[in-house]
Amino acid sequence: MYPDNRGYFGRYGGRFVPETLIPALKQTEKAYLEIKDDEEFIEEMEYYLKNYVGRESPLYFARRLSQECGKARIYLKREDLNHTGSHKINNTLGQALLARKMGKERLIAETGAGQHGVATATAAAVLGMKCTVYMGSKDMRRQKLNVFRMQMLGAEVKEVNKGSQTLKDATNEAFRDFISSFEYSHMLIGSVVGPHPYPMIVRDFQSVIGKELKKQFMEEEGSLPSQIVACVGGGSNAMGVFYPFLEDPVELTGVEAGGMGISSGKHCATLSEGDDGILHGALSRLLQDNYGQVMDTHSISAGLDYPGVGPEHAFLREENRVQYVHVSDEETVEAFLKLSETEGIIPALESAHAIAYAMKIAPSLPAGRSLVINLSGRGDKDAEEVARYLGGMKNE
Amino acid sequence: MNRIKNTMAELREKKEMALIAFIMAALPEEELCLDCIKALEQGGCDLLELGVPFSDPLADGEVIERFHHRGVEKGLNLRTGLDFAVKVKSMTAMPLLLFSYFNPIFRMGMDKFISECKSAGIDGLIIPDVPLDEMEIFSAYDIEAIPMVAPSSTDERLTMADALDPAFVYCVSVKGVTGVRSLPENDIKEYLQRVKGSIRSPLALGFGISTPEQVRNFQGHADAIVTGSFLARLIEENEKSPRLIPGIMEKEFAAMKMAAQG
Repeated sequence: MYPDNRGYFGRYGGRFVPETLIPALKQTEKAYLEIKDDEEFIEEMEYYLKNYVGRESPLYFARRLSQECGKARIYLKREDLNHTGSHKINNTLGQALLARKMGKERLIAETGAGQHGVATATAAAVLGMKCTVYMGSKDMRRQKLNVFRMQMLGAEVKEVNKGSQTLKDATNEAFRDFISSFEYSHMLIGSVVGPHPYPMIVRDFQSVIGKELKKQFMEEEGSLPSQIVACVGGGSNAMGVFYPFLEDPVELTGVEAGGMGISSGKHCATLSEGDDGILHGALSRLLQDNYGQVMDTHSISAGLDYPGVGPEHAFLREENRVQYVHVSDEETVEAFLKLSETEGIIPALESAHAIAYAMKIAPSLPAGRSLVINLSGRGDKDAEEVARYLGGMKNE
Repeated sequence: MNRIKNTMAELREKKEMALIAFIMAALPEEELCLDCIKALEQGGCDLLELGVPFSDPLADGEVIERFHHRGVEKGLNLRTGLDFAVKVKSMTAMPLLLFSYFNPIFRMGMDKFISECKSAGIDGLIIPDVPLDEMEIFSAYDIEAIPMVAPSSTDERLTMADALDPAFVYCVSVKGVTGVRSLPENDIKEYLQRVKGSIRSPLALGFGISTPEQVRNFQGHADAIVTGSFLARLIEENEKSPRLIPGIMEKEFAAMKMAAQG
């Protein structure tokens, strides 16, 4: 069973944070272990997931996309249809309920694309809690719509204009807030990153995706899927869909953001290109220079624009249980448009990375092979960014 | 006995509080930084804590954070920090503590890092993102690693810090990052009292301490005072006339030293 009681997945994970925070992390761990199997909590969680989020999310056979790509059958796990438009809500509701059990009245979140920020602000609103979201200036510009949404939901959005001005520095700032306010605040980390127990908690709340998929696919095809593909930034949607399949004969593939290409240095393919390192409280893989300074990254999708990755992914990579690959911005935009045109579904740019990889391998897959893409979010928020990207291409 | 323990013991004998200054290595400029360090020693600083700039200093508040970012932009890192430490050692007699986040050390590799510290004359380490549970990383090495405790620390955590038998324990005085205003004095005194109940090593009080009055108030409660953000702010406020900075620092420290001597 991973993680071990010190929060390690093999040699990855742990708790590398100031001593000040340790009591808060221990409190969270203890509370989580108490409620996780508590019937009342499970019922409450199921109620919200069903009646508020709209679960279960459908498993959709993408007929036209499959036909265009070759012989394999491509399915989409429709997390984009969840309330707030992505998988993030599965975790924020769980952690917000956990925070309330601990008597905390305020939620702190970091956000890149804004999807996690929106999902946290939503959970705070429905449970009557206060909410502060930290977001990099660069991300606030490229994800304006989500900034408005968070504000309408009653959250305070704090701009972070230091360092990279993206998710990495927004996370630093959220930690600083948490260090000062943990007596009444819960830091609601949005991915399978951070110090123990966060990677475990987020994985567990997100594994509802994989559990549903297993059941749905069995009903649909009477078997397990041949392969599951999911995008990886910090890695929460991937961890959620992979986790229930780790012991099964199913090929699992995580797709990272290759940005403008690995050789350009402008990417965030942490598992493909990084080394062991410590960021935001965990030992994992990390994009860093020779001296251990964390590097600036690039991706067209704000949600993947992060130099670290969850420690369990680092572990699964080392164990060769999951294969990690990357696709470029260009391939991602192509996939974004392709899914929109062939299926009438506009995917989030994050999820479009998974689609791009599926499109790349599908033509060489044999008939009878089935492939599930975790469609982690919808792309309304990205329409402007894609238009800008295409405009830029025309002007070149 | 190592040099930090010696210094702490000598001062304790004299019933004098130790003054510890935190300075970011080689900022804003190398020469000026060395001048500041000399001036601090002149003013009565007993131990120097030398900071290594890191890209993601999440335990630090605004002021020191700005110095981290400035340092990273100038290309400063653990390597340049160790080189700078050699220069500091050559011109001062104070025991030297290196402050660095863990990733640069991890990246260099523990064996290499410790041997580099030895040859640079570094007497001890303060690693803000290595909590007590992970401090066994240092146990295989002959180097003084300073544990930190906070007002939130439970008695169980304090006992863990005591078991390490360090030269001193760094007591964070606030529920927050560096530069944040301290707790009310009485709360800090109560907290120090509680810490003393579990920890036999000398106690250094840090985060938000910068005036002779504060030093005087904590006489008998703490064995040392750490001043960091205050010095960083002094540098920022006087950057237009950088030559004045060492003099100002010396004066401030001299006043604190008077208070520390009781």
